Amino acid sequence: MTSQAALAGEIEVEAFRRLYPLQFYERHLNDNVRPDARPLGRARATSLALGTVPTADGSAMAKIGHTTMLAGVKLEVMTPATDAPDEGRIAVDFQMPPICSPDVRPGRPVDTAAVISEQLFSVLASSGVINLKELSISKGQAAWMAYLDIYCLDADGALFDAALLAAIGAFAHLRFPAVSMTEEGKVIPLSGDTVLEDGNKEQPKVQEQRQQLTLGKIPFSLTCMLHKKYILADPTAEEEKIFQTTITVVLDHSGRLVSFYKPGGSALASTSTIQDCMALTRYRVKELQKILDEALSEMEPV
Amino acid sequence: MEYISPEGLRLDGRRPLEMRQLHAQLGVVDKADGSAIFEMGNTKVIAAVYGPHEVQSKNQQLPDQALVRCEYSMANFSTGDRPRRSKGDRRATEISLVIRQTMEAAILTHLMPRTQIDIFVQVLQADGGTRAACINAATLAIADAGIPMCDLVTSCAAGYLNNMNYMEDSAGGPDVTVGLMTKMDKLTLLQMDSKLPMDIFETVMQLAIEGCKAIVRYIQNILLENTKQLEYQRGLRS
Repeated sequence: MTSQAALAGEIEVEAFRRLYPLQFYERHLNDNVRPDARPLGRARATSLALGTVPTADGSAMAKIGHTTMLAGVKLEVMTPATDAPDEGRIAVDFQMPPICSPDVRPGRPVDTAAVISEQLFSVLASSGVINLKELSISKGQAAWMAYLDIYCLDADGALFDAALLAAIGAFAHLRFPAVSMTEEGKVIPLSGDTVLEDGNKEQPKVQEQRQQLTLGKIPFSLTCMLHKKYILADPTAEEEKIFQTTITVVLDHSGRLVSFYKPGGSALASTSTIQDCMALTRYRVKELQKILDEALSEMEPV
Repeated sequence: MEYISPEGLRLDGRRPLEMRQLHAQLGVVDKADGSAIFEMGNTKVIAAVYGPHEVQSKNQQLPDQALVRCEYSMANFSTGDRPRRSKGDRRATEISLVIRQTMEAAILTHLMPRTQIDIFVQVLQADGGTRAACINAATLAIADAGIPMCDLVTSCAAGYLNNMNYMEDSAGGPDVTVGLMTKMDKLTLLQMDSKLPMDIFETVMQLAIEGCKAIVRYIQNILLENTKQLEYQRGLRS
């Protein structure tokens, strides 16, 4: 085949893909495969790198296929609430800056960002992965507020999965800065080699320093698309636009259900479909656990 | 605080006229028409270009040239402390305007009338010289998108020391940012803070221009490498 004929053939396929996306996909689904040659139940190549942003107290970059999320945690001191004096707090902010997708325009905030922000916060809070008591510095006086900022750098489907993975990575990488408390109850940062001057009567109380968070039941997720009798795991942005019905399942590492999210959609799920999605997620959890463990072992020891 | 030690080294070990290490990568955002990451020392910036495409609001359409839009934003964890930045932040708006006008001078907008080109820059890590890094990243991203430019625009910031980092920048000395069209050897951007006697200003400006020329040599290498890779992939070069 001459290169020109090949090019013409390629252009025709591209045109068909743009003009009749549903038929294009159904031709592939009939053979149990997707245009990027993945079987229906397989997720894309996933990677997790910890400590990508040195200016943050904890950070991670997660990539699922082309979808890229950069998460950073910054700790600030605050006074704890009166009804929870020995707990800190977490604030989650998920943003989709205009670089991530041609559908995101500046000045027009995207609904997706708010929805995922809310989902993330509820999963992180309800799964118990972070023990808020570990964020306390001194009961009733000072505690850490952990600001988790997640930026989507490239939006190619399965945004929630990548965001959750990046958030977990950032918290796993988090290192508490060394601090000490003065007599008045102020928290001051303690650099590695502060020398107390002689004659300084006010000895700052150095707290029993916790170095990092102990993560409890770590949640992992998988988003699937439903179309007629097919279940497609880990959709790309193109697939999300065509099929429109998603199911997101969040399980912890022991396979127990943390969250299940099916926000409407034209395709209806029977019990067997739901069980199939859970099975796919269970398999995915093992993959993600391995990736997280590898990333943690590559980190420098504390 | 000593900015230059008695041995003649700066806080990060550089000589007074030395630039930070540069690193750039093209094509990092798959969905964008063109994208690049540009690092100058610890300052890391990602730029994405979408376009040329149809103008969003028809009443802003220009009949004889392309509309260039730019948005600059900083990640909340990019600097040492986490400020609560609103989107309509004045500093971000000003820098967006500066980057837009600098790039507009270089892009051949008359070749693409009635279209819109969007340039988005996001600062991931800030350690001084973010404005300059953004312009360099934008130049690379526009080149990656294949949008025609009349020249490569590079930018560098200098004060008494070349290519200052955050500590040196916050010292309160003069800060001159220069944007240079390198082949034509003409300035598109010149901004200065603080006070400087005129003759020292000339020296500092020259220092920044030298920095721009060093950056453009690096950028040209990156673009050549990228083109070679594309040629290999298309089978046009064995």
